[in-house]
Amino acid sequence: MTQPSPDQPPAVSLRGIVKRFGDVLANDHVDLTVAAGEIHALMGENGAGKSTLMSILYGLLRPDAGTIELAGREVSFDSPARAIAAGVGMVQQGFALFDSMSVVDNVVYGAEPTRRGLLDRRAATAAVRELIERHELRLRPGDRAGDLPVGSRQQVEILKLLYRQARVLVLDEPTAVLTPAEADRLFVVLRELAADGRTVLLVTHKLHEVTAVGEAVTVLRDGRVTMTAPTRGLDQGRLAAAMTGREVDLDRVYPPGRPGAEALTVRNLTVRRGDRRVLDDVSLTVRAGEIVGVAGVAGNGQTELVAAIAGLLPADGTVRLGERDVHALGVRERRAAGLAHVPEDRGEVGAAPTARLADNLAVGFHRRPPLLRRGLLRPEAVRDHAERIVTRFGVRAPGVSAPMRTLSGGNQQKAILGRELAQEAPVLVVEQPTRGVDIGAVVGIHTELVAYRDAGHAILLVSAELSEVLGLSDRVLVMYEGRVVAEFAKDEADAEAIGLAMAGVTAP
Amino acid sequence: MRGLRTTALAVLAAALLGAVLLAATGANPLVAFESIVVGAFGPDGLPDTLAYAVPVAGMATALAIPLRAGLVNLGGEGQLVLGAISAVAVGLQVPGVLGIVAALLAGVLAGALYAAFAAVCETALGVPLLVSTLLLSYPAVSLAAYLVRFPMRDPGSSLPQSEQLPPDVHLPALADTGLTAGLFLVLAAVVVYAVVDARTPAGFEARVTGWGPRFAQYAGIDRPRLTVRLLACSGGLAGLVGAVVVLGFPYRFIDGALITPQYTWIGLLAALLAAASPLGTLLAALFFAALTSGGFALERATQVPRELTAVLQAVLIIFLAAATGLLRGRKGAA
Amino acid sequence: MDAALFASALGALTPILFAALAGALCQRAGVFNISLEGTMLVGCFAGVAGSWYGGSVWVGVLAAALAGTAYSLVLAVGTITFRGDAVVLGVAVNLLAVGLTSFLVQTVFGTRGTFSDPALAGLDPLTVPGLSEVPFLGEVLSGHSALVYLSWLAVPVLAVFLGRHPWGLRLRGVGERPEAAASLGVPVDRYRYGAILAAGALCGLAGAQLALGNVTLFSENMTAGRGWIAVVAVLLGRALPYGVLAAAVLFGLAEAAGFRLQGLGLPQQATDAAPYVVTLVALFVFSARRTVKRST
Repeated sequence: MTQPSPDQPPAVSLRGIVKRFGDVLANDHVDLTVAAGEIHALMGENGAGKSTLMSILYGLLRPDAGTIELAGREVSFDSPARAIAAGVGMVQQGFALFDSMSVVDNVVYGAEPTRRGLLDRRAATAAVRELIERHELRLRPGDRAGDLPVGSRQQVEILKLLYRQARVLVLDEPTAVLTPAEADRLFVVLRELAADGRTVLLVTHKLHEVTAVGEAVTVLRDGRVTMTAPTRGLDQGRLAAAMTGREVDLDRVYPPGRPGAEALTVRNLTVRRGDRRVLDDVSLTVRAGEIVGVAGVAGNGQTELVAAIAGLLPADGTVRLGERDVHALGVRERRAAGLAHVPEDRGEVGAAPTARLADNLAVGFHRRPPLLRRGLLRPEAVRDHAERIVTRFGVRAPGVSAPMRTLSGGNQQKAILGRELAQEAPVLVVEQPTRGVDIGAVVGIHTELVAYRDAGHAILLVSAELSEVLGLSDRVLVMYEGRVVAEFAKDEADAEAIGLAMAGVTAP
Repeated sequence: MRGLRTTALAVLAAALLGAVLLAATGANPLVAFESIVVGAFGPDGLPDTLAYAVPVAGMATALAIPLRAGLVNLGGEGQLVLGAISAVAVGLQVPGVLGIVAALLAGVLAGALYAAFAAVCETALGVPLLVSTLLLSYPAVSLAAYLVRFPMRDPGSSLPQSEQLPPDVHLPALADTGLTAGLFLVLAAVVVYAVVDARTPAGFEARVTGWGPRFAQYAGIDRPRLTVRLLACSGGLAGLVGAVVVLGFPYRFIDGALITPQYTWIGLLAALLAAASPLGTLLAALFFAALTSGGFALERATQVPRELTAVLQAVLIIFLAAATGLLRGRKGAA
Repeated sequence: MDAALFASALGALTPILFAALAGALCQRAGVFNISLEGTMLVGCFAGVAGSWYGGSVWVGVLAAALAGTAYSLVLAVGTITFRGDAVVLGVAVNLLAVGLTSFLVQTVFGTRGTFSDPALAGLDPLTVPGLSEVPFLGEVLSGHSALVYLSWLAVPVLAVFLGRHPWGLRLRGVGERPEAAASLGVPVDRYRYGAILAAGALCGLAGAQLALGNVTLFSENMTAGRGWIAVVAVLLGRALPYGVLAAAVLFGLAEAAGFRLQGLGLPQQATDAAPYVVTLVALFVFSARRTVKRST
């Protein structure tokens, strides 16, 4: 690997970057230096300022103070177009592809080859094909981006940067949606690009990735750099402490529960989308006093499973809550029959960001006493109800009349979880309970879930965080391409076997 | 605080532009503004303002009801006209005080059913509500135009208008003001909307749906049923407004008389600008009504065509919409 | 049905086609433009005023296109620069157009309601050499104003622009995922401005055809809902140029059929309502078919 030489200026040098949003200091005099040919990891909790810093480097935001130097030359970007021209490219979280367009159109978009004034698709296709072959990617130029699996979409994003001849590549949480195997494949590509002299900035919150692929790491906390170090021989505990400001045990394993009667029974549940079975003949059982975890890479049917159980998505098969068949019932009736649900999408499904916290917490309680009396909602009862949940679950909020969006991600999640737990429903379905939640709040949420289980409730936990599934679950199911492909008891579940099953490899 | 200042700024900017326009037509802007204000709120003008405000506020509230749940009813015109023509048709048949009640009910029912049908077009047939309400509006207007030209035409007149309703099917007039008891009917509707919106589970669920359709679905709200119900209420109130108008002077349905004053569109804008909040919608409607009746006074006083106040009104709305957008944008960035 | 009927239907659908293409362009750029009606009305007035004071119908057409562009600036600034709500602004822009044109008719022409004059120059019909001799087809397709032919030409031009021109590709990206387009250095707001202003010019041409081609006069609110039909045509044609054309033709046929039925004793009001009813039925059929496809 390339060693930074004293006479060669660093590929990227950010100095004294300050960025303020209103009263929040997102970047507080941040310095970041990356040598040419280096893979540099950027770590931090949500809201630590990583994305802000990278958006500044890519010209999406302008810094309030500070300088940017690329290969020793000071630059100033007022738009991504300038950054691209200067050789900086960025793959954003959640991707930025046009689903209706082909791979070729996506790659050349904004920098199209033309012939007689019109788009030259032949030249574009040839250029893209050449890049695909040179970097040994598994893509076909003519495929529609919307039809591609996530791993391939990731590759299209990288192709976009290569086509623009980016020398500095910024990747924001690139492995969040990849299988371990796809992530490894991505790392191979990144190492090749670095060996080629390109510089890679990898934004991540996964500790093992930092040591696996990074040569150096910079950690941000509350907008400030708390640590910069080479990754060789780095202690993971030190990294975690730099991120959170204290030691956190992330891989804690909770004691097993005591399963009782069947609380949630799912038989042959199938959801079709077009000709495809996105949920394919899934059967599972969750008993009272038990947490059943569902592991799997995002997009393998977990979302559909949860939606079908909750009644949000029409499905074939049966769903029973206790003894009662709820298959023919709608969302409201299922909830009334004893189902609570914490959805994956906090901003759109689980809560209304613009509405007051109190109103968000009243949902589901608004048709019965004590909120309702003689046909009218009592504002003071709505407030009391919200205060109770806020106090009991330690939600930090400016007040119950504040809009939901003024809460941090972790506190929004606690509020939603609190609302659903307060239903005291026999069955709770939770999806990605700690996604986007600060590490400090994760432990609190896990403790609540285990306490709820120990109070005799059944929990179906769907999570893309393997450590979360392993730590909390009494049993682990693995989903792949819409099916349950493996099941592990708590004591026989290990990360490696589950990782293989997530990639579709199951032991015979 | 900042919202208030931005709104005031928008009003000021519109006034400034209006002054320039007025000066361009040769009028003294200050005199013109004075005659608008006096015309709208002076002892002679206030009854006119209120008379115009009744249908505008009624339509604004009617359209606010579904808007609270994020549903836009673009077909208020059709529901209004259908309510009016139905009220006249029934009022001409049923004699006496019973006739008033029957006519009002007919108006409500016609508007409600027609709007509910537009809702069913979305929930059962997959045509977006925005489109179904709009498309259904025109045939209703055409139907009324046909009815007063042929089967229901007043034989004693060459104009496309219905016969006059018998005197006992007139809404009681309020002194000499040109106002009728319809004022109280519309006011009652506004109060009912405010209470239902703030204090009942149904109103709460409408608001939840307005905050986000996916959140509402997750919360177990049956969107199709809610859509049909809200549209029925919306159309019912629009139909009531139509009935109230024709049961007042000149006590008949005249083709175009409910369209030309732009009750529906001004009402819709009032509801949109106030984000369908009951009180805000009422205030916005009153404000626009005052501006319009002030415009008539302006024309009488200065020869400035009253269309200019329609222009000013639209300019003001554009500025207000831009100002609210600016506020929202700022909040979003923080 | 006879050829004259189809010919008149073609003329009648031209304003709708222009406006619908304008709407489609905006839709593809991610702007929901419901101000077509008002912008068209401004085009009508500017066309008549231009023709009257310029002394030539072509001055009128140019004035209509320019006025449409200038007027659409209101929507563009309001929605893009100030981030105002597109529906509120669209409705307000339509109201403003009604007020503004009625006001101007009085201040400019000194009459209320309608302005017409025998000396007002309108668009002349063009005889297409060769085509006009073909029986039936010649009668249907020949003898329209230049703007009618221009509207036909505009369909493939828009299709090629969206499908094959770099700007068209970028515009579609802006409409599909604005944040993705911005992250690739494509100025989203500038493309949206361009789409709205170009749509304004197209609506201006729609107004010119309406006020100088279909008739030769200006009257208050003369667009009479055509802009709304165009909005519907955009939805029905899924903002595809040929789809929008098909939708516009459907309306034209409905209108022609309505005229025909009027001859058989049906009242004019039924004809007025026909395009809306036909559209609704067409939407039922399309969405029903989609539902069937989804469930099998």
